[in-house]
Amino acid sequence: MSALETTSRSTVPDVFDGRVAWVFGDDFDIDLIIGVQNIKSYDTEFLLSVCMDAYESGFAGKVQQGDLLVAGRNFGYGHPHYPPMVAMRAAGIVAVVAESYAPGFYRGETFNGLPLLRCPGVTGAVERWDRLRIDWARGQVENVRTGDRLASEVPPERVQQIWRAGGSIPLLRAEHARKDGHGGETANEEGT
Amino acid sequence: MGMTIAEKILARSGGVERVSPGDNRPFRPDHMIAYDFPGYTDVMFKQMRDDFGIETLDDPDRYVLFVDHMLSHGTAREEEVHAVTREWAQRTGAHYHEGIGIGHQVAAELGFARPGTFVIHFDGHISGLGAFGVLGWGVRRDLIEGWITGQLYLDVPASSRIRLEGEFATGVDSRDLLHHLIAVYGADGFVGQVIEYDGPGARSMSIDRRQSLCGMAMFTGAVSSIFNPDDLSLEYASRVTDRPFEPLSSDPDAEYVRDATVDLTTLDPQVVLPGSARAANTKPVGEVAGTEVQRAFIGSCVSGRIEDIRAAADILRGHRVSDSVELHVVPTSNEIHVRAQAEGLLDALAQAGAHIHRSTCDFCFGYAHPLQPGESSISTGVLNVSGRMGSTEAHIYMGSAYTVAASALTGRITDPREILRAANVGA
Repeated sequence: MSALETTSRSTVPDVFDGRVAWVFGDDFDIDLIIGVQNIKSYDTEFLLSVCMDAYESGFAGKVQQGDLLVAGRNFGYGHPHYPPMVAMRAAGIVAVVAESYAPGFYRGETFNGLPLLRCPGVTGAVERWDRLRIDWARGQVENVRTGDRLASEVPPERVQQIWRAGGSIPLLRAEHARKDGHGGETANEEGT
Repeated sequence: MGMTIAEKILARSGGVERVSPGDNRPFRPDHMIAYDFPGYTDVMFKQMRDDFGIETLDDPDRYVLFVDHMLSHGTAREEEVHAVTREWAQRTGAHYHEGIGIGHQVAAELGFARPGTFVIHFDGHISGLGAFGVLGWGVRRDLIEGWITGQLYLDVPASSRIRLEGEFATGVDSRDLLHHLIAVYGADGFVGQVIEYDGPGARSMSIDRRQSLCGMAMFTGAVSSIFNPDDLSLEYASRVTDRPFEPLSSDPDAEYVRDATVDLTTLDPQVVLPGSARAANTKPVGEVAGTEVQRAFIGSCVSGRIEDIRAAADILRGHRVSDSVELHVVPTSNEIHVRAQAEGLLDALAQAGAHIHRSTCDFCFGYAHPLQPGESSISTGVLNVSGRMGSTEAHIYMGSAYTVAASALTGRITDPREILRAANVGA
């Protein structure tokens, strides 16, 4: 499976739920998820093997398909590269719910089709392994354990289209692709 | 209700009368820039051809490619990477500039930063073009949307205005202002916004300082930063291009999320502790003075311009870099290199023991002369997360060219004002 396939295949359902696999703090630089020495790697197995090494050994093994990440303010601060979320998605993470995002991170992962919800107050309302039910079109995030409901920002229409298409490339391909049936997936990596 | 300069530029690019923060619609950039990097530009070329059937460009003038990374090893692999880019540019007619400096600077020198225009890049440091009244926006992989369709969807950002008063004290520059803003407002203080610098302090600031300030916008949370055009930036733009351009400026009744004032005269040199530029890591130099460093770097897309090199020469002329420090100086472009040579700055720095290199991005991301485990470096690079400039077991402090040069001189993080004062007393 190429890096792009890992990061852009699934479309986002209107309502979904998942467990909170980790709660990150504010201004978190996602490159630390795999370690900056590994940000040029697109070997998914390798990225999985180092995922969250600096924080908890065996993290990826505890994550189930469909789990979520929760984060504080300005998640993705710094120069966010793509491999950290390749690792997280390979581990099973399907969405992030954060107080706010660094704009570059938001743009890059939205392109890849990973739903990033803005949900003020979320870090104070969840504990690790809580289950969240997300109804993003209505702007609702519910903590199933506590029953607390938080308001999340309804994403802009274009972002909704990207989520529904499973990423920007599938959307652009649907809108603009050559019509001769040729063409295929191309992995996309990262600059500096 | 008036519009900000950023809103006016986007309205023009979107072909509409006006835009408001939060609007989501397609915009047509004047230039769409990239530097070549393996797995990035080469993949975009392939994707355009294979997935979208794009072999030629309708308007190649809008496409600009720079070769500024991976210039230091002299390997076949480097040549292979650049050859792919060169061939694509030759075939499509896109602008191609190899090895003449860091693209974010060369774009200005070559007239791609015309006041009132909208420029995108996958790299966020393109925001440095805001010095010229250009909206420069790093859109990451969405660059390919622009390259394929000629336009891209964006949310119109709100703006905040920072009125600058006074002038920088000796030994203080716009890097210190940038880190001061993060210290005060937080690393997400302007998240998703455009910062507009205005006021007498903005107008008295040199172009170099403006570029440095705008080029670091992302670390404040902002998507870009911009100055309203004035005589200085208009004169620069007119000098470097024959193309017509129509500058835009904010209306007096434009709306801002935040309207803040900073007195430049009160700023102290700032040092960023290893890790990231977030507020908790940002300290006045006095709080970290004395920390030993073995490596020092002056360069990058934000801090290797003539004023930075002059600052370093002011500190180091007639002295020697500490025996325990290796100082690398990398002018941001060849044009700057030539000018620094002509002014005698590079000779002064070389005589002080600095290593002078041809312009490249390679030091800033650890490709050239990577840091070794256990080393501490002080740098004018853009990023200091562990591993950015080499070993993950090295420590990267960041500061202005003044602070880096002063620290290289003593071997310890040093307040540059002490060195400059001593020099004045001795003179």
